[in-house]
Amino acid sequence: MMRLAAIIGVWFAITSAQAADIAIALTNDHVEVDTGFSGARLTLFGAVSGVEAPHAGAGVDIISVIRGPATQFQIRRLQKTGPIWMPGAMHAIKGAPALYLTNANRQITDIAPLPDQAAYHLGADFLKIHTVRGAGETPEEMQDGAHNEVFAKAFVTEARDAGLYRDRIGGVEFKKGALFTITVELPANTPVGEYSVAVYLYQGGMLLGRDEAELVVNKVGIERRIFDLAHDQPVTYGILCVVISLFAGWIAALAFRKS
Amino acid sequence: MLIYLPIAEIPVDPFVVIFMGAVVGFLSGMFGVGGGFLMTPLLIFYGIPPAVAVGTEASQIVASSVSGVLAHLKRKTVDFAMGGFLVAGGGGGVVVGIFIFRYFRAMGQIETFISLAYIIFLGLIGVLMMVESLRALLRSPERPLPRRKHRSVEWMAVMPFAMRFRRSQIYISPIPPIILGFMVGVLSAIMGVGGGFIMVPAMLYILKMPTNVVIGTSLFQIIFVTAIATILHAAANQTVDIVLSLLLLTGGVIGAQIGVRAGRRLKGEQLRALLALIVLGVCARLLFGLVTPPASPFIVVGAP
Repeated sequence: MMRLAAIIGVWFAITSAQAADIAIALTNDHVEVDTGFSGARLTLFGAVSGVEAPHAGAGVDIISVIRGPATQFQIRRLQKTGPIWMPGAMHAIKGAPALYLTNANRQITDIAPLPDQAAYHLGADFLKIHTVRGAGETPEEMQDGAHNEVFAKAFVTEARDAGLYRDRIGGVEFKKGALFTITVELPANTPVGEYSVAVYLYQGGMLLGRDEAELVVNKVGIERRIFDLAHDQPVTYGILCVVISLFAGWIAALAFRKS
Repeated sequence: MLIYLPIAEIPVDPFVVIFMGAVVGFLSGMFGVGGGFLMTPLLIFYGIPPAVAVGTEASQIVASSVSGVLAHLKRKTVDFAMGGFLVAGGGGGVVVGIFIFRYFRAMGQIETFISLAYIIFLGLIGVLMMVESLRALLRSPERPLPRRKHRSVEWMAVMPFAMRFRRSQIYISPIPPIILGFMVGVLSAIMGVGGGFIMVPAMLYILKMPTNVVIGTSLFQIIFVTAIATILHAAANQTVDIVLSLLLLTGGVIGAQIGVRAGRRLKGEQLRALLALIVLGVCARLLFGLVTPPASPFIVVGAP
């Protein structure tokens, strides 16, 4: 029912406009990620207008960008210290969102021209990330002219490996008429916070329209409650851990008592 | 199926974790050891952040010591006076250990520090155990055991406040037990171990306590010290993952039951040689992890 209402809402918003445009609606601007599962699925509903039969291959392309809240990341390089590898100086990462997911119906490089890709950050590689050099740098690091770039690049690679940054082809589905959905897979380690969602409508390499929406991601489930308790009331949590451990140990002792 | 660990903040397969608990439980049942010194490295190999592995192990040792403590209380094989001094020293040791832990965590070197601490301790203990058990195995059965002379420890006789420990039937100063408890407490906080593998030999050979009260008193000390370590790790570092701990316990109790039965089929020297091999293997694996060039030279921290 909510889906239908959202779609109809978008439909009316769109049909009133004449020029080609795009609009999205979220069925719920509060997404609750159940941490018990390995991830969650977020569905964006939207409609395009001013384009004939978008679903029938009219050369229409859609890109969605989901940007998580800004987070303080730090990056370090492992360095050989004597015989062992130890993490070196800590460098702060600035301008990096906690999560950055793009979805498109085909390769973004084929959809949008390079200036647009850079301007709208269509892909994690276009994020404006820089590093603030930390104390305790090695002489090599200090002489490294491309230092900032090296670390910023390495950060994006690591974030991709962690599943926090991802550029995916697919998830965009053209429905009947002017309607479409974008299905975004959220990783299990999706951070909580305020997100922004943006969609871009392209045709023949030309940007026809864009729309934005806000989104709040919450985590629910027992795991989230444990996390909150452990960070908000650490002493209580610690005592609780001991009590639970004693009780569980006692139960185990009872279960395996020699009969 | 995957479960998201709330404190370690990674998804894990619960059956793999239970199986890991069972393997270490099996070994600890078979060899009669606590298993913390095997569990923590195993968790690190699995990908649990080392700091979380240590904090979580403290709570798991609390749980897995309950049955032993109850059994020894029933048999009246716990020296409470001795245990009390050991706990007093141990509590102080844990506080110091947590400060050291926090210091290395703030420097961002806690992973390296924990690995190095394990390499040193496992290496020392593994080599000692191996030498000792090989000697016992290679000794020809005709020749009798060279009787060890019962030397009284002189430095302990001059310590002040000597008192009688009735259950242990010894008359010593409480200062050595406090120092011993303190040192084991530091190790416990830093490495996520109970410390029985140091405590038991020290009680036998340094404090000269009789064999029948050593295990019970050591377990009594371990359950209190690891409980303190659990609370302090949770309070100071937020590194106790109770979900991980309970999964490990589930596997651990089952594995221990099987391990005890398996252990009865092997001779003492064979058991010790086998345990020494495992300890040295874990030590070598940790060392290998530190000296091999990493797959990716970068690490990102401060996740959401």
